[in-house]
Amino acid sequence: MSSNSGNASRKRTPLVAAGVVIVVAIAAILYGTLSGGSGSTGGAQNGGQLVYVTNASQLNHLDPQRVYTGQDIAFLNSYVFRSLASYKPVPGQDGFQLVPDLATDIGTASDGGKTWKWTLKDGIKWQDGSALTCDDVKYGISRAFATDIITDGPSYAIQDIDIPTDAKGNSMYLGPYKKTGQDLYDKAVSCNGNTLTVHLNKPVGDFNYFGTYPAMSPVKQSADTGAKYDNGPWALGPYKISSYKIGSQLELVRNPNWDPATDTIRHNFPDSIVMRFGVAEAARDQIFLTDSVKNAVNYDQGLLPQNLDAFYNDAKNATRGNNENSPYTRYYAYNVSAGHLDCVDIRKAIFFAWPIQGLIDLSGGEKYYGKVGDSPLDPLVPDYAPTTGNTHDTNFMKAGNPTYAKSLVEKAKTDCASTYARVTTKGFSIDISDTATHRKAAALIKSAMEGTGMKVNFNFIQPGVYYSTVQDPTKQGDMSAAGWAADWANASTVIPDLFIKNGGFDLDQNWNDPAYADFAKKVAAAQAETDRTKQMSMWRELAQFVMDQYWISVPIFNLDQYQWGSQVGGVEYWLPQGSLIFTNLYVKK
Amino acid sequence: MLKYIGKRAMANGLILVAISMITYLIFWALPVNPASISCGTHCTPQKIAANEHLLGLDVPIWVQYGRFVKGLVVGANYADGQVHCSAPSLGYSVPTNTCVTTLLAQKFPVTLSLAIGAFILWMLIGMSMGIVAARYRGRWPDKAANAFVLTGTSLPTFLLGLLLLIGATLAHWIDPITQGLWVAPWSDPIGFFKNFIFAWITLAITSAAIYTRLTRGSVIETSSEDFIRTARAKGVSEWRILLKHNLRTSLAPIISQAGLDFGGLLGGAVITEKVFNLQGLGNVAITAVLQTYDLPILVGTTLIAAAFYLVFNLIVDVAYSFLDPRVRIS
Repeated sequence: MSSNSGNASRKRTPLVAAGVVIVVAIAAILYGTLSGGSGSTGGAQNGGQLVYVTNASQLNHLDPQRVYTGQDIAFLNSYVFRSLASYKPVPGQDGFQLVPDLATDIGTASDGGKTWKWTLKDGIKWQDGSALTCDDVKYGISRAFATDIITDGPSYAIQDIDIPTDAKGNSMYLGPYKKTGQDLYDKAVSCNGNTLTVHLNKPVGDFNYFGTYPAMSPVKQSADTGAKYDNGPWALGPYKISSYKIGSQLELVRNPNWDPATDTIRHNFPDSIVMRFGVAEAARDQIFLTDSVKNAVNYDQGLLPQNLDAFYNDAKNATRGNNENSPYTRYYAYNVSAGHLDCVDIRKAIFFAWPIQGLIDLSGGEKYYGKVGDSPLDPLVPDYAPTTGNTHDTNFMKAGNPTYAKSLVEKAKTDCASTYARVTTKGFSIDISDTATHRKAAALIKSAMEGTGMKVNFNFIQPGVYYSTVQDPTKQGDMSAAGWAADWANASTVIPDLFIKNGGFDLDQNWNDPAYADFAKKVAAAQAETDRTKQMSMWRELAQFVMDQYWISVPIFNLDQYQWGSQVGGVEYWLPQGSLIFTNLYVKK
Repeated sequence: MLKYIGKRAMANGLILVAISMITYLIFWALPVNPASISCGTHCTPQKIAANEHLLGLDVPIWVQYGRFVKGLVVGANYADGQVHCSAPSLGYSVPTNTCVTTLLAQKFPVTLSLAIGAFILWMLIGMSMGIVAARYRGRWPDKAANAFVLTGTSLPTFLLGLLLLIGATLAHWIDPITQGLWVAPWSDPIGFFKNFIFAWITLAITSAAIYTRLTRGSVIETSSEDFIRTARAKGVSEWRILLKHNLRTSLAPIISQAGLDFGGLLGGAVITEKVFNLQGLGNVAITAVLQTYDLPILVGTTLIAAAFYLVFNLIVDVAYSFLDPRVRIS
């Protein structure tokens, strides 16, 4: 017995050793994956605390159906939320690729783009350990319809999901709290096992891009606290909210129920993540100028203008800051409705007299603020292509070309006499938010227009109510300062929004313009096109059309800057989100 | 005395009602619709209407005010009935998704800490320098005190605060990341002290300068009173005359002013709280005014500030009669 036992024991030794090796290896793999899969991002280190610093007193919203600021979406989607699909978290153009997140694919269209399906992965859990279900996604999407509680979020779900509207155009489904029209919603959005089906009221070839939005992400009904959910949403991502004190800080800690095996996008490198609110701008800038807080990242996307050169001209900071193209394009929309700037010659004259260089210099110069653009589409949108004419015209000068502008004004005298008479006598009006910088910009514009024989007046509007004022056609002036960023990497979230009636942000009021009917037809065709290459060329043609009609003034392609401390690693820029790839950031030891 | 206090308390209550009404009216008269603030770039009339409903602005101003008063007495439901705030409810803040009373109760310890620390500091500095300046009138301590008064009163709080903040950050005396985070004095006394010390100094310098001048003037004025001359004739030492006889009388107007200043400070020190990122009543009020147009917070902070001012006004009046036997409340 004993010898047998002894032999058996000797024979088992290599097996035990092998078993130990395997267990250790599995433990190491598990540790690696559970703590962020450090192997997947070269050199990344686990542990430490990552600190985001901002002058703002809070994030606008934490509720997934209410958050609509690009950077906040990227931040919350990187750490707390998970959505049906995501942009690939890599720098460069590859970042525009959609990859599956909660779903097994990026969404499948049928019925010519009117029906979309996503099948959820197995094994995804909420922060309390309960399993994610298709009904959670369905419930989450439904919350957007409760517009009396769930304010400020994107309205694509309400616009596109196939639910009847009343005479005023309002959805007949009022959300999951009132439940009015619940049967209509249940018909349009349904679950079959793990498969979510969404029926749309029109073909939308790129509706799956909306699947990257938290607005399309799940909410567990039993955890929904309505308006108060905004202060403490539940997590599916690698971190959960430990505390959120408006004015003080947001603290995220690791979510033990996040399973990296179901998530090919995110990491959880730092032990915890803190966002510190209300840091005075002067103190914030000192943090990054002196590298006094080495694990800090500036969430404000910039420093005070007077500190930018001090930071970027110092060679020591070369690896602690970036200067990237922002997804925003700034422009002034021409109100082309009758009685306003309904004359192409006048619009063109303003365009060529526009002191764009001075305006850019006023806000930080081409180095930090932005460059002269040539399209309503930002170069970050894949549909962008350089247009012809406008800022490429030989008569275009960055300082403004009053001589050429004056000749256009003279031409207008015969082409459109009434508009000519108005802009040269009473003058045209520009809506602009009332800030110190804009007051200076107004002086520059006024001086530039005087050299052309046109007169200009300014409507200075309080910043907080600027957009709600200029979006009222009865209150809008002849030109309105505006800015826009694509909601996702497709011109379908720019051209229709900006230049189609009821697009949401059509400050041109162009629906009575003779060119509009043909334009709108082409836009509808581009929206329905599911072949992305074909669609791209359609958008480019439409962007050229916008510029040829001079529906906007000289655009500016904005820049953004991030700064971070010397212990922050893995910093890369996420083009489609216009933010850092937050999930890749780690703290160096 | 009790009758007097009762009468004053009732009058103060009426004043508070008037203040709350005036605040409502002023806000209502502003050319800004709070429902438009967060409407964003896809703003539609429907969105504005929804926001107005959520904010409770879709009813006439008197109904809004009536709801406010009812909430103070019995509590109220907000956000379409989803949120209940218990009495005394000062309203519901939509941007922060919080009952205003709860929010202000969270902020009050910060303001109280700032007020007490700054008050102690400025009274110590101001009164000491004032007494010394009066005692050595016309000599170098008086001249030095005068220079301090001129500097202190001419330095704007925001400038002094910013200079101290940047200097302390560069010198690593304060951590800009944790600066302003509330830590209770009993859980981390050093952290608490570091958090407030530069804010205390900022607030104290200006006030200390004023109190130096006030104390000096009051002490000098009392020095010419008959009872001081009598004491001096009896051979009492100058310091004893100053500290025992003079100060009791001189203190009365100083205490009166100090009570009002302290009461006012309890309503929030807007600039100092903002500069040092202290999350007190002043900070929350200025955010409500400038960023979110948050009427319930604005009304709540205004009422609290007014209430403190009125209460301390009453306390000062009562204390005055004890300090100066010549004054008696009838």
